[in-house]
Amino acid sequence: MSLNRRVAVIGSAVVAPFAGGDRSLEEVLYDVSRRALADAGLTMDGIDGIVVGSNDQFDGRAIAVMAASGSVGGVDRDILSTPSAGEHAFVMGVLRIASGHYETHLVVSWSPLEASSLPEAQRLGADPYFHRRLPLDDASTFALQGAALAAAWPAAGALADRIMEHRRAHAGVSPDGAGAARPPWPLKEGMLPPMASGAVALVIASQDHVRRHGVANPVWVRGMGWATEPAFLGDRDLSTAPALKEAARRAYDEAGIGDPRDAVAMAEICGVTPYQELIAYDALGLSRREDWDEDVRSGRFLPSGRLPVNPSGGVAALYPVFCAGLMRIEAVARRLRGQREAAGLAHAASGPAMMYQTVLVLGTDAGEARK
Amino acid sequence: MTSPRVGIIGIGQSAFKSRRDDASYPDLVREAVGAALSQCGLGLDAVEAVVYSLSPDAMVGIGNAERLGVDAVGGRNKRFLRINTGGATGISSVAAAYYHVAAGACDVVLTAGADKVGECGDSQTVLNKIWDPIYERPLPQGTITMLAMSAIRYAHKYAMSEEDMARVVVKNRRHAALNPNAHLRKEVTLEEVMASRYIAWPIKLMDCCPQSSGGGAMVLASERFIRQNRLDAVWITGIGHCSETYYIGDRMGTGQTADHADAYALGKAFDRAYRMAGVTDPQKQVDVAELYAPFSNTEYHAIEAAGLARPRQTVAQLNEGRFSIGGEIPVNPSGGTLCTNAIAVTAMIRVAEVALQVSGRAGGHQVKGARLGIASGNGGDHQFFGTMVVEA
Repeated sequence: MSLNRRVAVIGSAVVAPFAGGDRSLEEVLYDVSRRALADAGLTMDGIDGIVVGSNDQFDGRAIAVMAASGSVGGVDRDILSTPSAGEHAFVMGVLRIASGHYETHLVVSWSPLEASSLPEAQRLGADPYFHRRLPLDDASTFALQGAALAAAWPAAGALADRIMEHRRAHAGVSPDGAGAARPPWPLKEGMLPPMASGAVALVIASQDHVRRHGVANPVWVRGMGWATEPAFLGDRDLSTAPALKEAARRAYDEAGIGDPRDAVAMAEICGVTPYQELIAYDALGLSRREDWDEDVRSGRFLPSGRLPVNPSGGVAALYPVFCAGLMRIEAVARRLRGQREAAGLAHAASGPAMMYQTVLVLGTDAGEARK
Repeated sequence: MTSPRVGIIGIGQSAFKSRRDDASYPDLVREAVGAALSQCGLGLDAVEAVVYSLSPDAMVGIGNAERLGVDAVGGRNKRFLRINTGGATGISSVAAAYYHVAAGACDVVLTAGADKVGECGDSQTVLNKIWDPIYERPLPQGTITMLAMSAIRYAHKYAMSEEDMARVVVKNRRHAALNPNAHLRKEVTLEEVMASRYIAWPIKLMDCCPQSSGGGAMVLASERFIRQNRLDAVWITGIGHCSETYYIGDRMGTGQTADHADAYALGKAFDRAYRMAGVTDPQKQVDVAELYAPFSNTEYHAIEAAGLARPRQTVAQLNEGRFSIGGEIPVNPSGGTLCTNAIAVTAMIRVAEVALQVSGRAGGHQVKGARLGIASGNGGDHQFFGTMVVEA
C-alpha cells in the first residue's frame, strides 16, 4: 500500500557533537530545532505537530520527552515520542502528515553522552533473567553479528578489513583506530567508532504545503519501510537481516524500484561495524554475498564509485548512538536538497544487533520527472 | 483531503491486579493481544503493523522493554514502533495506530502493551525521575505531590472540599464494582475515604489510584477491511493532542502560561477532537466519558476541560449524580483510572471502555443507549494530553 498523500523533507539541521560544551541539552535541542525551521523557511507557528525520538536510559530521565518538549516547541502543541528509535520519529511524522490531519511536522532526535555510561544503559535493555549478566550491550551484539557472518561467509573477515581501509581513507576514521581500543572479537581496533553526542532535526511537509508555499527543492519520501527482528538473539541468524530485507522490500515496492543497485544515486547506510555494512549491503539488495568481493574491491561504494555509500562519512565518522539512524535520513535529504543527486537511499538501524530496521527511498522533483 | 474512516474491531484487557506473579511482562501483553484478536476473529498474520504502548522503562525495570514485547505481539519482521507520552501513552498509541491506517499504510494495526506497576517497587520513586534533576526532583516532586498542589489550587479557585474529592472516589468505586476488569472493585463509603490516611494533603490514600499490573490491546482497521470482512466496529471520529509546560513553576504565579488548578491543554485537546468529530455541544452530544483521573480531584477539572460542565458547577453536579451511571453523562463508568492504573495502557483502556460502551458491550457497567463517547489520557507532569471521540 502506498501512502494517501506525499510527504517531503523541506528543512533539516544537525548539531553534533555537542558534549563538553557549556550548553544544556535543552539549549542544544532549541538550537537544532531553530536551525531546521530556518532551513525550511518556517517559524514554530508554521508547525502543526512534533515527533521526537528520545531514550530515557541515555538521557538519564524517565519520560525523556518531557524535558525536551519546551525546547522543540511542544508547549501548546501536539507532541509524540518514539523511544524505540530516533528514526521511528520520522516514520511517525510521515504517517501523521500522510493521514491528512497535519500539513507540517518537526522531527527531532538526540543522543547525549553525559548522563550515564551508554554500555551500562544498553545492558539494562537485556532481559533480566537470561542475558543481562552476560553482559549484553550493543558492542557485544555487534561482535556476535561479526562472528556469525565470518562463520557463514569466511571471506567476511578480509572484506571487513578492506572496508576499514576505505573508512580510514574516506570517512576520516583515524588510522590508529579510534573508538573502542579493544572491541570484542572478531572486531578489531577501529571497527567500533567512538560514541558521540548529537542532535538532528528535520522539517517535513505535505505535498499541499509544498505546492501552496512554493517550497524549493523538496525531497520526497518515495518509499518507506520499517520492521523489527525478534527480541532474543538466540531466535535470530545474526549473519542475516530479514527485518531489513522486509523493510527494504516495502520501501522499494512503494517507490517502484525493481533493482536498487541502479535505481538510486547514493546511499547512507547505518552499518556501525564493517560486518554490519556487509550484512546491510546484502539485505538492501545493493550487493549480494557472492558479489561482495568484486563490489568492495572495485570501489563500487566509494565516493568515486557507481553507488557512493555514506558520502557524509556515515556512522564511522560520527556515531551519536540513538539518533545515528535519523542522521542517515537527514544526510540523504540534505544531499538531495543540494541537488547533487535525484534519488537516494537511507538505511537506519537501532538496538542490539540492528534489531529495528528502517529504509527510506528519497527523491527530488527531478528524480520524479525522470521516473 | 478527507481521511479514510478508521474503526476499532478488537479490544483485550488482561486481569488487572496488584501483582501478577502468574505472568511475566511479555505474558501480560500476550494475554491482552490474544483477547483482542479473538474478539475480532483475526490471527496475528492479519496484523500488518504494531504500535507498542509503554511509558517509563524504569517502571518495568528493563531498558527499552518494548523489545521484549515484540514476540508477544507477533511483531517479528513487521512494522513496529513504540510510543511514550507518560500516562497518556495508551491513548497516544491508539492515535498512532489510527494514523497508520488513515495514512493508507495499513489495513489492520494492533496496539498493545502492559505494565507491572504493582511490582515495580515504588512507582513514585520512579516517577520522581521525570522531573528536572536540579530544580524539581529534589523537592521531592512526585505525581501525588504535583496533583496535591493542583487540588489545593482548585479548592481555592472553585470551592472544592475534601468531602467533594471523596465523593468522586465513592462514585468510581461503585462503578468499578460492576466492572470485572477493574482492579479495585470494593465499594467504599464517604466516611471510609475521609478516614484514610493523608498521602500528600489534601490527597488521602483512597483518593489515589492503585498501582496495577496488567495489559491492554486494541485492533484498528480501515473501513474497507471492515466492510470486506463484515466485521463489527465502532469508529474513531475525533482525535486531539496538546501539551503544557514541563516546569510546574510555569503553571504558578503571575507569569503562568496555564493555571495548575485547571487542565488547559486537555481542554485544547478536546477542542481539536470535537472539531474533527463535529461535536459542537458536548453537554448534549456526549453520552459517556472515560476521563483519565488518577486522583479524585483531577476528575473535576477533566470534566470541565471536556466541556461537560462549567467550573463552579461541576462539584455540585457530581454530588447530584449527573456523572454517575444512570445520570445524564456518566463519567468513568468503568471505575476509571482511580480504580485501575497499569500506566502503560491506562489511557488505552479509557478508549477501549468507551468503545465497549458505544458498541453496547460494556456488560454490568453499560450506559444505556450510549452512541457517542469520549476518552482522555494525561501524561508527564500533567503535561501531555490526548483525547478521542468514539462513535457507534
